[in-house]
Amino acid sequence: MNLAHLHLLLNHIPIIGAIIGLGLLVVSLAAQSDDLKRASLMVLAAIALLSLPAFFSGVGARGAIRKDTAIPAGLIERHEGSAILALFFMEVTGALALVGLWRRDRLFKAQPWSSSLAAVLFFSVVTAGLMARVGATGGDIRHPEIRVGQDVSAETGLSAIVSVFEPSPVKFTDLMLLSKWWWAFMMDMHFIGLALLIGTVGVLDLRMLGFLKQIPVAPLHRLTPWAMAGFGVNTLTGILAFIGMPTYYTFDAAFWLKMLALLLLGLNAAGFYLSDAFQSVEHLGAGEDAPPLAKFFAASSLVLWFAVIALGRYIQSYTDTIPVQ
Amino acid sequence: MVLPPLFLRTVEESGFSAWLRESESPFAFYFVLLFHTFGLALLVGANAVIDLRLLGIEREIPLMPLKRLFGIMWLGFAINAASGVLLLIAYPTKALTNPVFYIKLVLIAIAVWVMTKLKTEVFGDPSSSEATMMARGKSLAKWSLALWIGAISAGRLLAYTYKYLIFPC
Repeated sequence: MNLAHLHLLLNHIPIIGAIIGLGLLVVSLAAQSDDLKRASLMVLAAIALLSLPAFFSGVGARGAIRKDTAIPAGLIERHEGSAILALFFMEVTGALALVGLWRRDRLFKAQPWSSSLAAVLFFSVVTAGLMARVGATGGDIRHPEIRVGQDVSAETGLSAIVSVFEPSPVKFTDLMLLSKWWWAFMMDMHFIGLALLIGTVGVLDLRMLGFLKQIPVAPLHRLTPWAMAGFGVNTLTGILAFIGMPTYYTFDAAFWLKMLALLLLGLNAAGFYLSDAFQSVEHLGAGEDAPPLAKFFAASSLVLWFAVIALGRYIQSYTDTIPVQ
Repeated sequence: MVLPPLFLRTVEESGFSAWLRESESPFAFYFVLLFHTFGLALLVGANAVIDLRLLGIEREIPLMPLKRLFGIMWLGFAINAASGVLLLIAYPTKALTNPVFYIKLVLIAIAVWVMTKLKTEVFGDPSSSEATMMARGKSLAKWSLALWIGAISAGRLLAYTYKYLIFPC
């Protein structure tokens, strides 16, 4: 398997996922089903996470076809630009979905949370539309039979309007590299986000494992938005760094293992909240022991987060460990 | 040209320094660097939780049991002192000819001093009420957060501000 395979494997997930998430949300609103609303938000949050490797694998796929002269100039750049725009909207949608889930389950409990749902609905509509365009521009690259015309600059209707907002990938990359102080600032924020994330997630995990046992679980769990704020900062600075040096990260084994660890963390969080584990610790008071399943999720969370740190540090020494096709 | 002190070259020419710097083994330089980041996460992460709690977030977290986090903070500090010395052995000229390095050390020294003050003044008396602890800890917590952010930033800047990577000529 190479990175082009990986891109083909992953690239339909954000497109179909955004549409399924939106569809579920619309149905849940029509049916006024609370469970379905929550399910649709979970789907959108999961798709936001999976969109990251789908986006990152694009540069490798470009490497594999860069010598193909049958592809009209500009098609790949147009696809990249549309993907960048769609990715940002997808990540905002995912973040809003998590905010909605948090408000519903932790703050309001059966009170209206319609403002969250309205925000997610708006962003997922835009995201699904942008993702459709990512799919169409991506399909144009490899499928000459569906190209409307050979001139990619001739866009009509809605695409012409959307294309105005799509960044040029080359210019975006240049912008990120314009000043080394901007780069230093981004990396600094990435480390501050790391400390905030590990600190807040870490105390909760340690409590479930039995350290800090005199503290009830519920108030520690309410630190989760701080952890997610750190994760948000790091997702944003991570995406911007990738856009700044796409080939540096793309052909790096440590980078991909770090992405794998992040996906496993998503799976771990899903397992924790959707199994009995979370319910079993939610009301745990001072001195009470967490059951083994919750301890398992806490331990794997700690191990995986430290793996993310370790793999992030190895990126610099594992550049060019994946062959360019 | 004014050269940096010659002992820096002596350190760099030692076999251990050269191995740390140049070995392709994954257990050389980047292994030390990752422990330096683990230490950062333990030290600053745990301290930030205490600081944020003292500044008033999640008041339902009882304060006194958080005292156990000082053990984790000292563990992080020990890891970083040890890994920091190894990083310094790998690139002595790079660090010691850069003023930012000394700023980083001063910021860490003050931040650790604030940390010990937090432990004695806020967590020192087990009979203190939460209100007393928060009143005593408020400004220390603000300083602690600011100093750690400063220390991390200074550390990050070392990668962008050095004058010599290794001893010149």
